Amino acid sequence: MLRGPDARLRLITVLLIAALLLVLGQLVRLQILDHRHYQNEAEALVRRQYTLPEAPWGVIMDRNGALLVGNVPVYNVGAEITMITDTVMAASVLAPLLNRPEEELLATITLSEGVQHLIWRPLANRVPPETVQKLRALNWPWITLSPTWERYYAEGALACHTLGFVNADGLGYGVQTFLLRVLRGESVTRVGSVSVDTRPMPNELVGGNLTPYPGTNLRLTLDRTMQAFVEGALDQAIVEYNAAGGVILVMNPQTGEILAVASRPHYEPHRFPEYAQDGRDVLFRDPAVSMAYEPGSVFKAIVVAAALDSGRVDANWSYNDAGRLEYGGVFIRNSNGVAYGTQGLQGIMDHSLNVGTAHLSTRVLGADVFYKYMRDFGFGQTTGIELAGEAAGIVHLPTDWDWSDSYLATNSFGQGIAVTPLQMAMAISAIANDGVMMQPRIVAERHYPDGRIVPVPPHALGQPISAETARAVTEIMVRSVDTFGKVAQVNGYRIAGKSGTAQIPTTGGYHPDDVVASYVGFGPAPNPQVVILVNLDRPDVPADMRWGMHTAAPVFQKVMTRVLTLMGVPPSELRAGH
Amino acid sequence: MSVLWQQTTHGVLKRKEKMQRFSAQLLLGIVLVTTALTGIYLAVVASNVHTARRLWAMEYQMSNVLRDNQALITEVARLSSIPVLQERSVALGYQPAESIDYLYLGEP
Repeated sequence: MLRGPDARLRLITVLLIAALLLVLGQLVRLQILDHRHYQNEAEALVRRQYTLPEAPWGVIMDRNGALLVGNVPVYNVGAEITMITDTVMAASVLAPLLNRPEEELLATITLSEGVQHLIWRPLANRVPPETVQKLRALNWPWITLSPTWERYYAEGALACHTLGFVNADGLGYGVQTFLLRVLRGESVTRVGSVSVDTRPMPNELVGGNLTPYPGTNLRLTLDRTMQAFVEGALDQAIVEYNAAGGVILVMNPQTGEILAVASRPHYEPHRFPEYAQDGRDVLFRDPAVSMAYEPGSVFKAIVVAAALDSGRVDANWSYNDAGRLEYGGVFIRNSNGVAYGTQGLQGIMDHSLNVGTAHLSTRVLGADVFYKYMRDFGFGQTTGIELAGEAAGIVHLPTDWDWSDSYLATNSFGQGIAVTPLQMAMAISAIANDGVMMQPRIVAERHYPDGRIVPVPPHALGQPISAETARAVTEIMVRSVDTFGKVAQVNGYRIAGKSGTAQIPTTGGYHPDDVVASYVGFGPAPNPQVVILVNLDRPDVPADMRWGMHTAAPVFQKVMTRVLTLMGVPPSELRAGH
Repeated sequence: MSVLWQQTTHGVLKRKEKMQRFSAQLLLGIVLVTTALTGIYLAVVASNVHTARRLWAMEYQMSNVLRDNQALITEVARLSSIPVLQERSVALGYQPAESIDYLYLGEP
């Protein structure tokens, strides 16, 4: 028996201390001794690999900030089908919402007999937010909604080849494929604590943001308004001349900026899977950048520039045009077979004399000098523009196994050599820009998600000809337009230009009828602001109207007139300060 | 003389009481400090959890706002696209500028 209050107090104290020790002991066991065991058990319950919602890709704008490619928020819809109680009712409700046949949907959400474990199946991809709202209103816990994005082309098919697309494998065309790593948003996959709906728990914030960084936005050099006009002009020309396709390229020779580039045939980039499925993926290749053609007589401007720059001829040089010239086993003739007698550089450009340029390449320049200039003008090499699938073209060199001496003569008037429209415009832009050849570029600025705006500076690829030569050739081309090429003249402006009508090579020769009619020019001289190249592929009009001067030149004139207006370039007289 | 009397007269009880009072105060102090520390610890943990929860909610809110923003950007782009603008311009009676007169302003 306990005697007295002191003894009872002591007993209570001992009991309390014992209880406290018991609690402390348990705490030590749980928190220290068995800590690892319980932590592993807890983690096994909530620790999973999770992927953060897909970040939006960078948007693409034109030079004035108008959206060309954006992102539409959409959802991928799935179902934990083991949790569905009434599959028939579910299928009948979901079928119209997800735009799927009811029977097909029922088969998707019906569980095979004997299956016990949780099964998830996808029901529909890229479902718009309005439909998702209706799905949420159903309040069915087995529906899973994964937010994702779909590319949105604000102007439809406008500039489709330039903008391009990227498929699920990361392959595609245009600037989007070329700059895929820049445009694509951050993709984050981590291992950590997740809630029952597989979303990361708040403590995962320690590992970093739960909203991944979006991709980098791009501001292009394209002008949306100019692009729309140029595409409209090309469409009209194709209808008018019954052509199979065409290219119009508008470029600033001083900066290399591509202001507009239209190519036909074309496609709608948001429907690229349908085109691929139908075997029409040839439409994805941009004729302006990825397809080389024999340029024909527009190439003569380059040869004349090379001859003048080499110092082997001057403005007073002349030759006797006999209407034909034999070189390397082939006879070179003027397109109309006429002998023009004594002619100079101006005559070669005015009458587009094949014999004249062949004379320059074979008897004045020679292969070494001629091909040095071809290399300097960038032919046979890619330009480095930020577009996927750029072609290098074909330039045969004397060291090649398939070289033929006749190439030196035929190359001088754009036969036996293949260039892309972009290369041709770039080379002509060197003449327009005092001999300095700027690299063509399509991206003006990169807008990084952290707010930095990094402009892409103009880059000179070289100076194939001197400023004096460039000005002299410009004057020759201007005089040629003013005298023999009035159809390309723009009222109030001094325009330089050259037409071309190139035969299309086939196996073992050239097609008897098909041609590529082209015109390339720039203006206003002096200090040209814009280079425009027009190509019409196989215009189907009477033979005497197939010439570049009859088909491509009027289109050039129309486009140049509007482009100068859109750019706000005053007439030459006003620019000169009169 | 009783023992109690002796203890009282010799100051023994007074010392003992002083000791007990000191012990009680010490214990009370420890309990108070421990309680305060525990309270602060719990408050900090609770605040952390609350803040994390808010941050977490804000992250998702930001994600949703980002999606709404992108949707609005595309909607604005659709409404200001060239075909829509052309349609509206034609309805308003605008025409493409065909003939432009430039006025030369000389240096002042």
